[in-house]
Amino acid sequence: MAQMWITMGPQHPMTHGLWTLRVKVDGETVVDTEAELGYIHRGVEKICEARDFTQITPYCDRLCYVSAMTWANSYIYAAEDLLEAEVPARAEYIRLISAEIQRLASHLMWLGAFGPDIGNLTLMTWCMRDREMFLDLLQELGGSRMHYNYPRIGGVKRDMPVGFADRVIAKTKLFEKRLDEYEMMLDQSTIWLVRLQGVGYANAESMVDAGVSGPNVRAAGVNYDVRWAHPYSVYDEIDWEPSVEKPTSVKGADCFDRYRVRMEEMRQSCRMVLDALNKIPGGKNTNYASGDEMILTKAPTRAPEGATGFSNYECTRGASQFHVQGGGEGRGKNPYRVSIRSPMFITIPYVAKTMIGYKIADIPAIMGSFDPCIGETDR
Amino acid sequence: MDDIYDLRSIFLGKDSLVSSLITSAVEGTALEDSASDLSFLVGTFAVVNIVFLMLFFSQFGILWIERKAAARMHDRRGATTALRSLWVGENGVTAGEWWKMLPFGGGIVGAINKFLNKRFGNRDPKNPTVDRVNNRSWMGYSILPGFFQNVADGMKFLLKEHMVPRRADKLIFEVSPFLIVSSTLLILGIIPLSSGIYATNPDLSILYAIAIFGIAPIGVFFAGWSSNNKYTLIGGIRSAAQLTAYEIPLLLTLLSVAILSGTFNIIESIHFQHAAGSWNLFLMPLGAVLFLVTMIAEVERVPFDMPEAEAELVEGWWTEYGGMRFGMLFMAEYIRTYAACFLFTHFFLGGWHLPFQGTISQIPVLGDAYVLIPGALVVLLKTWLVFLVVFVWARFSLARIRTDQILEFGWRMLLPLAVVQVILSVVYRLYLFQPDNMSYTAEGGNAWDAWGIPMFIPIATTVLWLAVFYVLLNDEDKDAAPDRMYHVHTLQAAGTHIPGKD
Repeated sequence: MAQMWITMGPQHPMTHGLWTLRVKVDGETVVDTEAELGYIHRGVEKICEARDFTQITPYCDRLCYVSAMTWANSYIYAAEDLLEAEVPARAEYIRLISAEIQRLASHLMWLGAFGPDIGNLTLMTWCMRDREMFLDLLQELGGSRMHYNYPRIGGVKRDMPVGFADRVIAKTKLFEKRLDEYEMMLDQSTIWLVRLQGVGYANAESMVDAGVSGPNVRAAGVNYDVRWAHPYSVYDEIDWEPSVEKPTSVKGADCFDRYRVRMEEMRQSCRMVLDALNKIPGGKNTNYASGDEMILTKAPTRAPEGATGFSNYECTRGASQFHVQGGGEGRGKNPYRVSIRSPMFITIPYVAKTMIGYKIADIPAIMGSFDPCIGETDR
Repeated sequence: MDDIYDLRSIFLGKDSLVSSLITSAVEGTALEDSASDLSFLVGTFAVVNIVFLMLFFSQFGILWIERKAAARMHDRRGATTALRSLWVGENGVTAGEWWKMLPFGGGIVGAINKFLNKRFGNRDPKNPTVDRVNNRSWMGYSILPGFFQNVADGMKFLLKEHMVPRRADKLIFEVSPFLIVSSTLLILGIIPLSSGIYATNPDLSILYAIAIFGIAPIGVFFAGWSSNNKYTLIGGIRSAAQLTAYEIPLLLTLLSVAILSGTFNIIESIHFQHAAGSWNLFLMPLGAVLFLVTMIAEVERVPFDMPEAEAELVEGWWTEYGGMRFGMLFMAEYIRTYAACFLFTHFFLGGWHLPFQGTISQIPVLGDAYVLIPGALVVLLKTWLVFLVVFVWARFSLARIRTDQILEFGWRMLLPLAVVQVILSVVYRLYLFQPDNMSYTAEGGNAWDAWGIPMFIPIATTVLWLAVFYVLLNDEDKDAAPDRMYHVHTLQAAGTHIPGKD
C-alpha cells in the first residue's frame, strides 16, 4: 500500500503546544515518525545572563506555563546552592506545599488535555473545574493566576495568607473525593480501557537509556523519584511514598500505566500537602510579616567567578536540572551561564519513535499519556 | 389507534375546507373536471410544508437539549453569551453604539436595543462587575436560556467566507455537501409525527428510511476524497470502512422489527404495537440496544465518530469546509440524529401512543382527557427523551474507539447478536404471538398474553434481558490480570520498536 507523510503541527489538536510531528503512514498504521521542535524557543538561558539572580525567577516561571511553581523552585534551589543561602524550615514547608499544589494543578491539566485526546470532552471541563481550585490557592500565595514569582532566594516572598491552610485542607479533601469520581468514569469504562491498555508500550531500559524521567519511567516500574532518591527540601520529613506502577507486560509501560501513575501521584500530593500542614514549624495558621526571618533570610546577591550551583528537582514531568555559574556581569551580580535540563526535551523525540507500529488514532493517546509541555522543551 | 388531531384530513379529506373552497372556486370554469386534482395538489403542498416546518423547527429543541445537558454533565453553565455580547450588551453598557452604522441611522434598532437592555439587562445594578464576570445577563434568566445561541451560530456560519482548497476537485467538493444535506432532508419526508401528521407514507417506508440513510456516507467519502487534504482523505476512508460494520447489523435489527410487526411500514408498525398490546421495546430489548448502538455509529457521534476524530484528524472529512457549507453539514448531522431518535420512538416506543393508553382510555373522564394529549407532542417528547438519555449521555461520558475496534465490534458482536435477534423475532411471531387477540380499537389488544397471564411475554422478556445485562455487567473478575491485547496485524508488530536500538 502506498505510504505518505502527514505533517501534524505546528497547529494540531494532538500537539498540546507548538511543535510538529511528521508521521509516515501506511494506511492507518504508523511506519515512521519525526519530531520537529523549536517553534517557541525564547532563549531563556541567554536572557538569564543579563539578569541578576532575583530577576531570573519570573523567567523560570514561564518555562512551563502549567507548572510555574515547580520550575521557579527548581531554579531557586540551584541559586541557593550557588549563593550558599540558608533557608528557614517554614519556608521549605511552604515551598513544598506550593509545589505539590502546583503538581496537582499540572496533572489535572494533563488529564484534562488527555481526555479530549481519547475523545472524552467531559473530562476536560471537570479537570479545569478542579484545577481552578488549586490555581485559586496558588493565586493567594503569588498574587497571579499562572506565573507566581513566589519563591525567593533564601525563602519565600510572603507567608501563607490568613485562612489559607483551612482552604487547602478543605479543597484537598474535596479533590480526593473527586478523584474517586474520575476513576468511576474512566476506569470502569471499557472504551477507556481498550483505548489505553496495550497501546504505546515504552520499555523501562530504553527509557532510562534515553534519559526519560519522572512519572513516565515510574509507570514502567523504575522506582526513581528525585524527591525520594535525593530528598531536597523537606521531603524526607513528611509522610509519603513515590507512586510506581508495576507494568503488566514485558514490553514495558502502556498508556494505561502512565495514566494510573499520575492518578496515584495526585493522591500522594494530596497526602503530602495535608501532612506538611500538620508538621509545618510555626503552625499552619501563624501569620508572619513579609520578610520575617521565619520565611525569608538575607542571601548574598553576588557569586564569585568559578562558583557553580546545581539543583536536581522533581518537576511534574520529570527531573528538571539547573546549572548556574557565578561571576557574570556586574562583578558577579549576574550569572555567567544558566543551563537548563528539561525532561520533556528528551522525552518528546523518544515518544515519537515509540509510536511506530500503532494506528493513527493511537498517536494522540500515546503522545498525551507522556504529558508533553512545549514551553519547557523549547525554552 | 389514530390520533384525534388529523392534519391530513383537514387538508386532504373528501369534504375538507380546502376541497370545498377549490371546488366552488373552479365551478363553471374549464378546470371544473380537475377540481379534485387541484385540491389534492394544494392540500399536499400545505401538509408537506407544515410537517416539514414542524420537524425542522422542533429540531432546535434537540440542539438546546444537548447544549444544556452537556453543560450539566460538564458541570458548567451553558454558553449563553455570544448573542448578548453582540447585541444587547449588559448593565446599560452596550458594545458601542453600533446601530449608528446601519443605513437610515438605525434609530429604531437602537431604541429596541436600549429597551431590551433596560428591561432585561442585569437585574442587580449594585454588582455590575460581578455580574459581568459570572456571565449573568438577560439571556441567563429568560424562559429558554441559551435557546437562541443556535441562531447566533447560524449567523456566524452565514457570514464566513466559503473557500475551495487549491487543487481540490472543485465539482465534487461543491456537490458533496448538497448530496449529504439533501439526502438527509429526504429522511424527514417519511417520519410521521402522528397518525394524521406526516408528509408521505410509502408502503415500504422502513426500507426507504434505511436506503436514504445510506446515501450520506457516499457524500462523506466524496467530500473526504475531493478536498485534497490528507486528514479529510483518511476521514473519508474511515467512514467507508466502518460503514459495513454497522449497516448490516442495523439492517438485520430493522428486519427483526419488521418480522415482529409483520410490516415494512412505519405507521403500520406503530399501529401494530398498540393493537398487540405491547411496545416493541419490551419484546426485543436486545434489538433496541442494537438499534441504538448502530444508529450512533450511523450518525457518527461519540463513541463512533472516527471519521471526524478531532484529536488526530483535526476535523476529519469536513476539515476543509467553511462557512455555511460547514453549517449545513453540521445541521445535517443533527437532522440524522434527530431522525434516528424518531425511528427509535416509532419502532420501539409505540410512536404517538401514551403509556398504557389502551387501559387508561377506558376510564370514563380521565381516559377522555388522556387521549386529548396531541400525539405529535407525545412523539416529540419521546424523541427528545431518547436523544437526551442515549445520544447526549453517551457522547459526554464515553471516549472514542478506534477504527479497527469498531470493525471488530461490529463483525464479532453486533452482527451475531443481530442474527440472534432476527431468530428471536421469528420465534416470537410464530409461536408466542396470538393474532386472534389483536384489536385495532382504542382499547388495544392483548396478543402477548400467555397461559392466561396478561402481558406475560413482554414482562418475562424484559425481566430476562435485564437479568442478562445485570449478570454481564457484574461477572467481571476483578482480580484477573487485564488482558492487554492489541488485535491488529501490522508489518512491524506494535510495541516491538524500541527507540535507540535500531
